[in-house]
Amino acid sequence: MQHPMRLTSLTAMRRLTVVLCLLQPGWAHAHLVSTRFGEYYAGLLHPVTTLTHLVPWLALGLLAGLQSAPQSRHTLLLFPLAVLLGSALGSLLPPQHWLDVINLLSFLLLGGLVLLARPLPVAAYCGLILATGISHGYANGMPELYGKNLGLYLAGVTTAAYLLVTVLTATSRQLITRPSWGIIAVRAGGSWIAAIGMMFLAFNVLIAPAAP
Amino acid sequence: MNINTGFSTVTKLLLLAVSLFATPAFAHTETGVAGGLISGFLHPIYGLDHLVAMVAVGLWGAQLGKPAIWLLPITFPLVMAFGGVLGVAGFPLPAIEMGIALSALVLGIMVLFSARPPLALAALIVGFFAVFHGYAHGAELPGAANPLAYGVGFVISTGLLHLAGIGLGVLTRWPLGTQAIRGLGGMIAALGVYFSAASAGWM
Repeated sequence: MQHPMRLTSLTAMRRLTVVLCLLQPGWAHAHLVSTRFGEYYAGLLHPVTTLTHLVPWLALGLLAGLQSAPQSRHTLLLFPLAVLLGSALGSLLPPQHWLDVINLLSFLLLGGLVLLARPLPVAAYCGLILATGISHGYANGMPELYGKNLGLYLAGVTTAAYLLVTVLTATSRQLITRPSWGIIAVRAGGSWIAAIGMMFLAFNVLIAPAAP
Repeated sequence: MNINTGFSTVTKLLLLAVSLFATPAFAHTETGVAGGLISGFLHPIYGLDHLVAMVAVGLWGAQLGKPAIWLLPITFPLVMAFGGVLGVAGFPLPAIEMGIALSALVLGIMVLFSARPPLALAALIVGFFAVFHGYAHGAELPGAANPLAYGVGFVISTGLLHLAGIGLGVLTRWPLGTQAIRGLGGMIAALGVYFSAASAGWM
């Protein structure tokens, strides 16, 4: 026969376990996003939750809106394809850290071009879009997924590129054609992005390499 | 059942339950991208000297009209970023706090008297002080939870403060509004005197 005090203690432990379990509930998902299409969502979120990609892509969308209508439309096709190519290469080939510097410089270059608000020659513009897409796409590569669901992940990154650039190009074109202050707002946006790029580049060149 | 044992169990249970609701202790008060963004965004707003000077830039731009009204807010972030780079690099720029304090004083006076110098001179005055503001923000950047997010936050915040000044500047369309804006300039200049005296150690 067990001692009454030991019994009380056991009951208390059981109650405590129930209380602890109740205090730590997990989410119950009707659809499991982490399985099946999980890598697609991972790819979709990767560039839009990383400021080093999101901010230059914002500049690229604003720049696309400043070009002629055919050039703006070229962007919607060229940029996602370049990102797809870049992220596929980044997933299959070893990391290239010099591309990170190129991506940082894209803050300055794209922001500066938006600030100037000048239409670019077709060849130079298309080259810029392709280079930006491949370089940023490469940094979005995911070698860990090679042989797994890499295709889904790449589709996610490409969708993110298409959605972002489409929405931003449309917004930029509306801003520069409709309200009188729109072009000022777009150019101020370019100025802000170039300013952010200047400081972050300085941080990465002067401070980050020396950090432990 | 022993009453003392019952109390002891309940006490232990309560202690455990309370410990489950403990909030995390961060070595840095802000963390991650959101933390960096928030701290950068709030830096110019919590510093009254930054805040009034940025609003004064917008007010003065509104008083000067086109093209200054759009030229100043577009060029300011770039010159400020140059100051930010000096701050990030730890370049020894003297009298930072005094420079920021004087910016409130000088820009406040410009708004008070509705001064209309040539555009190049106005840009030079604003650009000169932008370096000090940028330096102060930039010096904080390497220690931020997320340096890029911090930079994004303070650039956006600065731009919005300019916009607030330009928005208030719409009042200059009416005679009474013009006087009100000049009065605001006087208040900013008075604050500038206080900040300058404080920076010099007189207060």
